[in-house]
Amino acid sequence: MDLSIHDLVKRFGRITALDHVSLDVARGSFVCFLGPSGCGKTTLLRVIAGLEEADAGSIRLGEADLSSIPARARNFGVVFQSYSLFPNMTAARNVGYGLECRHWEKERTRARIAEMLDLVHLSDQAEKLPAQMSGGQQQRIALARALAPDPSALLLDEPLSALDAKVREELRIEIRAVQKRLGITTIMVTHDQEEALAMADLIVVMNKGRIEQIGTPQQLYREPASAFVADFIGRMNVLPVEAGAQGAMSFGGTPLHIDHPARDGATMLGVRPEAVSLTARDGTGANILPATVRSVSFLGNVTRVEVEPDARRETSIMVELHGTSKVPEQGEQLAISIPAEALRVLS
Amino acid sequence: MSLAAETTAPPAARRGGGLTGDRSVTLGLSALAALPILLFLLLPLTGILLRGFETPDGFGIGNFTETFGAERFWKLVYNSIAMSLTATLAAVGLAYFYAYALQRAKIPFKPFLRIAVLTPLFAPSLVQAQGLILLLGRNGVLNRFLGFDIDIYGFWGTAIANALYAFPYAYLILSAALAVADARLYESAEALGAGPLRIFRDVTLPATRFGLAAAIFVVFTLVMTDFGNPMVIGGDFSVLATEVYNQVIGQAQFGLGAVIGIVLLVPAILAKLIEKRISRKQHASVTAQSKPLVVKPSLRRDVAFSVYAYVVVALILSVLAIVVVASFVRLWPYNMSFTLKHYEFDVQNGTAPLWNSVGVSLATAIVGVAITGLTAIVVQKFRNPLTGPLSLLAILPAAVPGMVLGLGYVLTFNEPSNPLNVLYGSFALIVILSVYYNHAHAFLISSTSLKQIGSTFDEASTTLGGSAVTTLRKVTLPLLWPTLLGVGVFYFMRTMVSLSAVIFLVTPSTQLAAVSVLQLSDRGAVNQAAAFSVCIMAIVIACLLLVRTILWLAGAKNVTLIR
Repeated sequence: MDLSIHDLVKRFGRITALDHVSLDVARGSFVCFLGPSGCGKTTLLRVIAGLEEADAGSIRLGEADLSSIPARARNFGVVFQSYSLFPNMTAARNVGYGLECRHWEKERTRARIAEMLDLVHLSDQAEKLPAQMSGGQQQRIALARALAPDPSALLLDEPLSALDAKVREELRIEIRAVQKRLGITTIMVTHDQEEALAMADLIVVMNKGRIEQIGTPQQLYREPASAFVADFIGRMNVLPVEAGAQGAMSFGGTPLHIDHPARDGATMLGVRPEAVSLTARDGTGANILPATVRSVSFLGNVTRVEVEPDARRETSIMVELHGTSKVPEQGEQLAISIPAEALRVLS
Repeated sequence: MSLAAETTAPPAARRGGGLTGDRSVTLGLSALAALPILLFLLLPLTGILLRGFETPDGFGIGNFTETFGAERFWKLVYNSIAMSLTATLAAVGLAYFYAYALQRAKIPFKPFLRIAVLTPLFAPSLVQAQGLILLLGRNGVLNRFLGFDIDIYGFWGTAIANALYAFPYAYLILSAALAVADARLYESAEALGAGPLRIFRDVTLPATRFGLAAAIFVVFTLVMTDFGNPMVIGGDFSVLATEVYNQVIGQAQFGLGAVIGIVLLVPAILAKLIEKRISRKQHASVTAQSKPLVVKPSLRRDVAFSVYAYVVVALILSVLAIVVVASFVRLWPYNMSFTLKHYEFDVQNGTAPLWNSVGVSLATAIVGVAITGLTAIVVQKFRNPLTGPLSLLAILPAAVPGMVLGLGYVLTFNEPSNPLNVLYGSFALIVILSVYYNHAHAFLISSTSLKQIGSTFDEASTTLGGSAVTTLRKVTLPLLWPTLLGVGVFYFMRTMVSLSAVIFLVTPSTQLAAVSVLQLSDRGAVNQAAAFSVCIMAIVIACLLLVRTILWLAGAKNVTLIR
C-alpha cells in the first residue's frame, strides 16, 4: 500500500512547521526526509506516526484515511533517536511489548521475539536490561521492537545520530539490509546528507517547512533544483551571473557556455568543486577563467584549492583535485576550466 | 495488517501527543485533581480570611483595628522578627560554611557528617528546646553540674533552639547551591593571581548568592511560624506563633487568632514568591559547557574546616544526645541512675499517642502518595488549559505555614454549618491536613521524576499499540515506584515529627506523640517527654532504614529519602 500525504499544514504558535506538504511514498521503498534542524522533517514524521495532529491536510495508507486513527492503532513501527527502550524491561520483553498490547498468544509471542532478536543478531542479549547494552545494541533492539508487530510502515526518527561514527556506519548497512529483506516501506528522518545518500531510494529535501526537492540520491546530486539543495547535498560553487539575450550568461563580464537550457531571469549558476579543473592561463577551450590561488588545503586523497577569478574577485571558487596531481602554490596565477555540462542553473 | 479493523476508532480518540487526546477527559481529570485541593487547602485559607473580618456586628475590620491597636501585638511582632532574624542569620551563616566544608574541602568521614547534620529532621520539631533546657536550663548540665549561671529561657533560648531547628533546612539548600561550580572561573581567578579569600569573595559568594537568599527566606519563614520551640523554652517571651495558640485554644478568640494567622501568612507567601524568583535565576548560572570543580587538597584549609564541621555536628548532636540520656535516667537532674521506667509510658494515654502518630503518618503516606502521584501524572501527562492553575494549586502549600493551615482547618471544619464538619475531631481530618501541609514538596518530587522519565516512553508505548492505562501500568509506574516510595517516606517522616500543623486539631481522643512531648514538657515531666521524643526518632530512623534496604534490594540507589 502506498502512503500518500496531501497538503499537510502544521503550526506551532506562530511558527509554521509544515507548509502545505504533499508527498507519495511507494510501497516497499526507503525514503529519507533530509534537511537542517527546524526544517519540519521530524514534525512530518510525527504527524505520519500520529504523535502530532496536523492542522490541515490528509494522510492515506492505500485506501484508508489515517487522520482519524490514533497513533496506537496506526500500526506503524517507530524508532526514536533516544532509543527509548523501556528501562524496566529486558531486551526480549521490550521486543514483545507491542505483541503484549495486541494480546498475542504466549507461544506465538515467544517465537516472534526470538525471530526478531535473530533478525538484529542479538539473540544472546535477550535477558539484558537496556542499561547493560551499548547504544548500538539498544538501537537494534528498538528496531526489532518496532518491527515485531509486523507494522505497515517503519518510521525512523534520526535513529543513528546518538551513536558513534563507526557504529553508525555498521547500523546504516544493517537497517538497509533488514528493510530490503522485509520489503517494508520505511521513512527515515536525518540531517546527515551522507546517511541519506547512502541509504535512501528517494530523498525528500526539506527547508522551512516546505519540500525543496524530491529525487533519487543521484538526481539530487547531479541536478539540484535550488541553491539550497545544491549546498545541502555535497558542496557547490555558486556563481552570480548576468543573463543576456537568448539565454546568454556572463560572469563578471566573461561569457559562460552552458549545456542546460537557461530559464529566463536566472541569476545563479552552480558547479561542483570536483568538476572544475586547473589549467594554464593560455589554455584554450570554453569557460576558461583566469584566477589567482587564494589558499590550498591538502587533505590526503583530496586537495582543496580556493581561487579568486580575475573577473569577479569577491566570488571565491572551490576546486577539488583528486589523487596526486600537481598542487599549485598560494598566490599562483593560473586559470580554471569549467566544463559547460557541469554548470547548473539554480533557482 | 490490523489497520482496517481499527479505522472505526472514534474521532474523539484523535491526536496522540499526550496519553490521550480527548479534551473533555483531560479537562475532567484536571478538575477532579483540583477538587480536593480546593476543598482542603483553599477553603481553609479563605476560612481564615472570613473569620478575620467577622465581628459581632457583621463583617468589618474590627478584629484588625483591635489587634493592631494593642501595644502587646506590636511587642509580639517585634519579638517575632527580632528572634527570627537572629535565628536566621545564625542558622544560614553556620550552615553555609558547613555546606562549604563538605562540598569544597577534603575532610574525613563526609558521609557521617552529611547524615548527622540531618538528624534533627527525624525528631519532633521542639526537640531543640527540650535539649537546650537539659543542657543550659535551670536544671541543665552546665548550671547544675558545672557551676554556671545561665538563664536560657526567653529570647536567646528561642533563637538558639530555632537556629538549630532550621539548620538542616538551610544546609540542604546551601549544599545544593555549593555542589555546582564552574571550575573554569576558579582556574582563571587563580591564574590572575587571586588568593583563596579573594576567590571566595569574588567567585564563590556571587555564584551562591541565589541559594543563600533562598535559604534566608525559607529559614526566616520556618522560624517565624514555628510554634513548639518558643512554647517550651520561651518562658515569658512570647511570639506571634504562640499568641495564635493562646488566642484560639486558650481564650477561644477565633477572630483575633485569625488576624494573627493572616499576619503570619502574608510574609510567608511573599518570602515564597521571592524565593521562587530567585531559584529560577540560579539554574541559568551553570551551563552545559561548565567544567565541574575538583577540590584540591590544602592542609590548612582542610584542618580548619574539619574542626569547624565537627564542632557544629557536636553541637547539633549534643542537643539530641542529652534528650536520649534524659530519657534513660530516673529523675533529671536529681537522680541520674539508669532506668527504663519512662518507656513504660504510664502517663496520660500510655503509648496510645505514639501508635496514633504511627497510624496517622502511615495513612498520610498512603493517601499522600496516591494524591500527589495522581496529581503529578495529571499535570505532566494530560495537558490542557487547566494544567497551569492545577500545578499552581499543587505547590501553593509551600507558602502556607503549618500553623496557619491548622488554624484554617479549625476555623473551617468546626463550623457546624459546613457539611464537612463530620470530619472535625477525627483522625481523618488530621491525615488530610498532613497530606496538604506537605503537598507542595511531595508534588514537586513526583513531578520532577515524571519529567525525567520523559515523554518518549509514552510515545514509544503508544506507537506500539499501548493504551494510556497500559502505558501507566507497564511503563510509568514501574519506573516511578522508587520515587513514590521516597515520597511516602517524606510524608511519614514529616507527619511523625510535625507539631505546629496538628496542634489545633488534636483532641484527647486523637492525641499524637509530638503533642504529647509538648504537653509533658509543659507539665515538667522532662524524662517522659524525652522518652517520647526518643521513640519518635527511633521510629523515623527505623522507617528510613527499612525503606533504604528495600530500595537497595530492588536496585534503586538514586532515591533521596531525607528532604
